[in-house]
Amino acid sequence: MTAYLIAMAIVALIYMLLTIGLNLQYGYTGLANFGHVGSFAIGAYITALITTNGGFAYVSLPASVLGAALVAWPVALLSKRLRTDYFAIATLAASETLRLAIIEEDWITNGVHGITSIPNMSVALGLDVDPNILILTLLIAANLLAVALITRMVKSPFGRTIEAIRDDEDAVRALGKEPATFKVKVFVIGAGLAGLAGAFYAHYFSYISPEQFLPLITFYVWMAMILGGTGSILGAVAGSLVLVLFLEGSRFVRDILPGVTEVEMASVRLFVVGMALVLLTLLRPQGLMGDFRKR
Amino acid sequence: MILSLSHVAFAFGDFRVLDDVSLDVPPKEIVGLIGPNGAGKSTLFAVTSGFEKPLAGTIMLDGRDITHDGPVARARAGLGRTFQVPREFRHLTVRENLLAAAPNQTGENLLPLFLSPRRVREEERALREKVADLIAFLNLTAVKDTPSGSLSGGQKKLLELGRVLMGDPKVILLDEPFAGVNPVLIDSLVDRIRELNAQGYSFLVIEHNLRALSDLCSTMHVMDRGAMIASGAPSAVLDDPKVQEAYMGGVL
Repeated sequence: MTAYLIAMAIVALIYMLLTIGLNLQYGYTGLANFGHVGSFAIGAYITALITTNGGFAYVSLPASVLGAALVAWPVALLSKRLRTDYFAIATLAASETLRLAIIEEDWITNGVHGITSIPNMSVALGLDVDPNILILTLLIAANLLAVALITRMVKSPFGRTIEAIRDDEDAVRALGKEPATFKVKVFVIGAGLAGLAGAFYAHYFSYISPEQFLPLITFYVWMAMILGGTGSILGAVAGSLVLVLFLEGSRFVRDILPGVTEVEMASVRLFVVGMALVLLTLLRPQGLMGDFRKR
Repeated sequence: MILSLSHVAFAFGDFRVLDDVSLDVPPKEIVGLIGPNGAGKSTLFAVTSGFEKPLAGTIMLDGRDITHDGPVARARAGLGRTFQVPREFRHLTVRENLLAAAPNQTGENLLPLFLSPRRVREEERALREKVADLIAFLNLTAVKDTPSGSLSGGQKKLLELGRVLMGDPKVILLDEPFAGVNPVLIDSLVDRIRELNAQGYSFLVIEHNLRALSDLCSTMHVMDRGAMIASGAPSAVLDDPKVQEAYMGGVL
């Protein structure tokens, strides 16, 4: 039971990093990023490639963050020209293009077969401790750091300006501030957090393949953000915990639904998670921790 | 001239919206701009503030050619504007709106935010004092911590004026400052604009409330169908038959 709880906590904490990043991008700045999973994949692949070729996590963790941020840069520049809905489509396309590139460029990524035998956290760091406890500890530390950094950012003049950009970009321009410079920074930072989440993901599951990085992951992160409260850092924390509770809890739906095959079960779970989201937005539209749109 | 438009032209596709429009705002003066709906007044503001590019003509701000600058550069050069439909940052409070409008804040950059928090804090304290004074000046004290989205139309107009003032501009373009504002608040807006004018601010004001505007401005320009049809002292302009024709469609 403890092992199960630890496993759930690790998954929730990985989602938490992703959700904090998306909340900075969308909740505070209004950047509708529908390609978040792309940054997550880059982080996972960089870590997998470095550590399966003998590199340590001391290198691969920062490399995953920087790599994801670097790839996000040109995508971020699109936000200069594209309004919310078009930017959403462009980011979705970018993440799918990346996934197809991972499948096609099999000389480096091993294509659809994925990368196996990624060393666990203890091996990757050269430490003689329980790898699950280690990754759990590191994930808690990473999330605490992310919450502290992002909170400092959003409760500052920088945070005020990105919220102003979210509310009315042209009015910000009329005040002599260029929204693009802020949006690029925010997008790249959010991507870096997703890259870090990807690195942990690779170490924890030891196997990654392109089919793990479908747009569905992006939408799970959106759900976590909406559940917790858009534009609230604590909401991102609460939302990712609740999301994993739903995703995992729906596993037990099987006990009350006999005669459902394993394949059908996957759809039933999605249905349960979707219904939970609909109910929560009906009963508590501002999310668990409050939502800027309802303030 | 603090602001000078000469021979400005603009079109949406084949539709000429502005045709050879010229207009000057002398320093420390309030210039009015009137005209029937669709005359091109707000488009002239958009072209002047850099949100639309003119097809022809030049725009000078305090002796500098800003024709080819974008809206951000023009705002930095000292051109402040409000919008016809107020564009408050609706989830931010009145105070936060004004704080956000302050130019060149150290804390808007991430490195100093983390590396020199003391400098950011001190700057923020000074800024808060300035904002408190401005809130008092604009009579917004009672709503200073209210999310600006729930303000009345008139309060939003005051807030937008306040936001523009945070940048200490050379000239302020007001787009229908009295539209949808209750009469009592109009008087206080007029009063604030006069006070600011006395402090040395120059204004270009679009307005349909001719009584309030002619009290306020020294020169009035009239536009109709994209062209300037009359200019001069408010009383003379309002008596001009061409102006009455444009406004009343020749019915009276």
